[in-house]
Amino acid sequence: MTRTRSQWWLYAVLTIVLLAVIAPFVWMVLGSFKTQGELLQTPPTWWPQTATLDNYTRLFSRLNFSQYFVNSTIVAVAVTAGNLLFCSMVGYALAMLDFPGRRALFLVVMGTLLIPGVVTFVPLFVLVTNVGLANSLPGLILPFLVSPFGVFLMRQYISGLPRDLLDAGRVDGASELRIFARIFLPLCGPALATLGILTFLGSWNNFLWPLVVAQEESKYTLPVALALYSKGQNSTQYGLLLAGATVVVIPVLAIFLAFQRRFIEGIATTGIK
Amino acid sequence: MSSTTEVTPSGATGRGSSPRGKGGDARPEVNAGAGASRRRQGLAAWTLALPFCLLFLVFTAWPVIQSLFMSFTDTRSRDLRTPFAVDIVGLDNFTKAFSDPIFRKSMLNTAYFVVVGVPLTMAMALAAAVALDKGITKLRGLFRLGFYTPVITSIVAVAVVWRFLLEREYGLINTVLGWVGIDGPNWLGDPNWAMPGLILMASWRNFGTGMIIFLAGLQAVPWMLHEAAAIDGAGAWQRFRHITLPLLRPTLLFVSVTTAIGYLQFFEEPFVMTNGGPLNSTISMSMYTYKQFGFGNYGLASAMSYIIFVIVAIVTAIQFRLLRENT
Amino acid sequence: MRRTSAAAVATLTAAALALSACGRDNGGGAGSSETAKDISSGKATGTLTVWAMGNEGDILPDLMKDFEAANPGVKVNVTAIPWDSAHDKFTTAITAGTTPDAAMVGSTWMGEFAGLDALDPVPPSIDTSAYFEGAQKTNEVNGTNYGVPWYVETRLIFYRTDLAKKAGITTPPTDWDGLKNMAKAMQDKAGAKFGMGFQAGGQGSWQSIMPFAWSDGANLTKDDGKAYNFDSPELLEAVKYYQSYFTDGISDKAAPAQPTTEPDFKSGRVPMFISGPWMMSAVEKVGVKKDQYDVMPVPAKKTSSSFVGGSNFAVFKKSKNRDSAWKLVQWLSDPKVQAKWYGMSTDLPSVKSAWDDPALSGDPKLKKFGTALETAQAPPSFPTWEQVVAGFDTEMEKVTKQGADPAAALKSAQQQAESVGTGQ
Repeated sequence: MTRTRSQWWLYAVLTIVLLAVIAPFVWMVLGSFKTQGELLQTPPTWWPQTATLDNYTRLFSRLNFSQYFVNSTIVAVAVTAGNLLFCSMVGYALAMLDFPGRRALFLVVMGTLLIPGVVTFVPLFVLVTNVGLANSLPGLILPFLVSPFGVFLMRQYISGLPRDLLDAGRVDGASELRIFARIFLPLCGPALATLGILTFLGSWNNFLWPLVVAQEESKYTLPVALALYSKGQNSTQYGLLLAGATVVVIPVLAIFLAFQRRFIEGIATTGIK
Repeated sequence: MSSTTEVTPSGATGRGSSPRGKGGDARPEVNAGAGASRRRQGLAAWTLALPFCLLFLVFTAWPVIQSLFMSFTDTRSRDLRTPFAVDIVGLDNFTKAFSDPIFRKSMLNTAYFVVVGVPLTMAMALAAAVALDKGITKLRGLFRLGFYTPVITSIVAVAVVWRFLLEREYGLINTVLGWVGIDGPNWLGDPNWAMPGLILMASWRNFGTGMIIFLAGLQAVPWMLHEAAAIDGAGAWQRFRHITLPLLRPTLLFVSVTTAIGYLQFFEEPFVMTNGGPLNSTISMSMYTYKQFGFGNYGLASAMSYIIFVIVAIVTAIQFRLLRENT
Repeated sequence: MRRTSAAAVATLTAAALALSACGRDNGGGAGSSETAKDISSGKATGTLTVWAMGNEGDILPDLMKDFEAANPGVKVNVTAIPWDSAHDKFTTAITAGTTPDAAMVGSTWMGEFAGLDALDPVPPSIDTSAYFEGAQKTNEVNGTNYGVPWYVETRLIFYRTDLAKKAGITTPPTDWDGLKNMAKAMQDKAGAKFGMGFQAGGQGSWQSIMPFAWSDGANLTKDDGKAYNFDSPELLEAVKYYQSYFTDGISDKAAPAQPTTEPDFKSGRVPMFISGPWMMSAVEKVGVKKDQYDVMPVPAKKTSSSFVGGSNFAVFKKSKNRDSAWKLVQWLSDPKVQAKWYGMSTDLPSVKSAWDDPALSGDPKLKKFGTALETAQAPPSFPTWEQVVAGFDTEMEKVTKQGADPAAALKSAQQQAESVGTGQ
């Protein structure tokens, strides 16, 4: 009986904490329906006093919204697909195969994890421009096509899979690559889900790189467009910003909801334990 | 990052429990073919690793080298078109960085942020994970999603919202503090309270990620051990300290390392909330480096970014020392 | 073992060779003025890429339709870029050689971009006397003009007329003491928490402080415009005056980085502040009525002089369609086009004769902005201005928030300015 009582108490505490944690998020969504005047009011309001759909109509009409949405989607999907494929390839090699240079490769991957973004940002931009990739979607995609974190994640996960499968495949006469593609890769579902969600999220919300690389509006992604249309030289249009932020978060939320269980499962079995 | 025989709930073979041992070529019956096998594996491995290596060389290695080169020269933004027409200044940029009082302040600020922020975020994440894993049985998915929501919102929106939350007179936080009789500080306007405000915001934003990873790690702690200890009379807290925590060590290490790496480079929070103020109390190393790039001092900024790099490496190594398993 | 050491030696040798190939070529530096090529007569042709920031970038395409109608055969592609990182976007584009044909350029960026050898000098057929002098000066780097003013803004003191009446002020003050007394009276008699909403140092605070310095006749450069001049007696007087607002409790030294100007103005908590014309619609949006407030010029010590900002329009050297680009710039400076642009964007025209348009001459508040523009000044167009003034802003933060000694702060700002140099 004490167990159920303490359970009730725990539920209560958790609910309060949950409300506190999502309160800013809720405020953001509610704010997207308010006017600029109301947003600047003190004391601030919770429910919109003069609810308006203005911010959303402006978002979808003034902005070339579909174009930016398509760009963001193409980039995020391409980066995610690339990572899923390439990271699992290298992760598998590091986890299962024995080959000269394996230790060095692993050290390189881990070392890259430590490199701060500021170190590479500017030279990367100059490089991308010099090879003619500036202002193009490939320029937005290529530098992020494989991430050391993804390699590490896949390696950890695959190390937890039974080695016997490897031997069995070899005994059957399958080539190494076939063993990877036909036997191990299908087993990586949870890890791929995890990597997929994290990569998609990172790419979708990426602001600084597309800002600098995209020269024409036709190549902007959503975060760039959002900053563009809501921030003026001397003032910010908060309603528009919040409406844009709400819209931008929906796809990620949807994907997370859809893959939640596999996502957790993926992290659970990456051998971090 | 390896561990030996772990206790896994399903009994799946971990790397260390295979009778063939670590590595893959200790099988006695194929010693003669070991060379060929290794060659074949080598070929397959490097084929698989080829895309990564190409992308790495072009998009990571080259910029890193160029950045290193710039840090030893007096490159300014106008020189990037003729990168070799610059003077080598040796360690000048590095000494300049260390003798710059603002850079030193930024190092202190970053240390403050990491030393307070990392444990706080981890504690929040662990508490949430334990509560969801062992404490409650229903509605887990809902709480999980709710706690993860801050992670997926864009920083620009988060900044707008938190600026209102931390507002001195009408902000939500000070209002709630007022209910329990505390006169909340002027968060973003007071040099002593701006950083705590940012740490609060960063912890809110990031604890969801840690929570998810801890949730996964907790599933590796066998219920049987807990039951046995409970029968022996151990209380919940004791069980947590002596059973859960030690088994959670690799997970703790992972979360600690990744959070620290992220927090050492913290940039977005001060950039959108306080612009480094008030009185440079929130400027971070990354943000100051970015400012130097903005001024066109590319040589100096590259040197600063390398200093950050070295610090990240050192802190990570220290964490490994402290938290790795005794194997 | 041998392999590794051989590899090491090879790497070191390569590095040494590369390093020895470096070195600056210090002969024939830039610094002399350039002569500009003139543009042809006739219509503009071809395609033009134009960059513009924020709201202007949003609306400009509509204006460009008129230009395309007047110049059949020309196509103008406008790209809007966010203000947040526009400066960095420009510098990276200049580095990479991917600049547009023409662009709207922030008035304080001209020196830097000209210094990077990115801008094309203004052709002689464009009459530079048509613009407000202060704005025009922002385009002059080393004796050459690199762009023309497109729209301008200047800073005036906003105040609540109804609360001023309550405080017993019927005519706007004309000197520094008068202004301070007015702010104090707002606190004592009209219930304001802080009489004046001055920024307590920090980024951009120089735009509030310099108007007072200029009204005292301060000059930000010395040695015939070759060096910074931060520790002049006039600037010291202005800073001391500015600091007194904080020490006397008339301005809030603990205000957060993101100001709450509009709601404070409406509620009367802070009924006075110094800012630009865009704040008129901003305060009206939160419910302040047109007859509840007014603007007044910065009070004079010797004369009244404010800060002129805004944006210029420049053509980039790498442009492949230079001729038509300058024709576009010329067209934008036509007084009728300037007036039309005001109607579309509420950006104030930079061409003096455009102010005769009834939309501008008929609004009493706007007229005051127009008058102030005639005497407003801009900071020197040195490439290092942004970096140097950041140091100044930090010193001002110490002066206002911690009561640091103004003379020492200005000396420190001057030292920092000298160590950075003008960048020319």
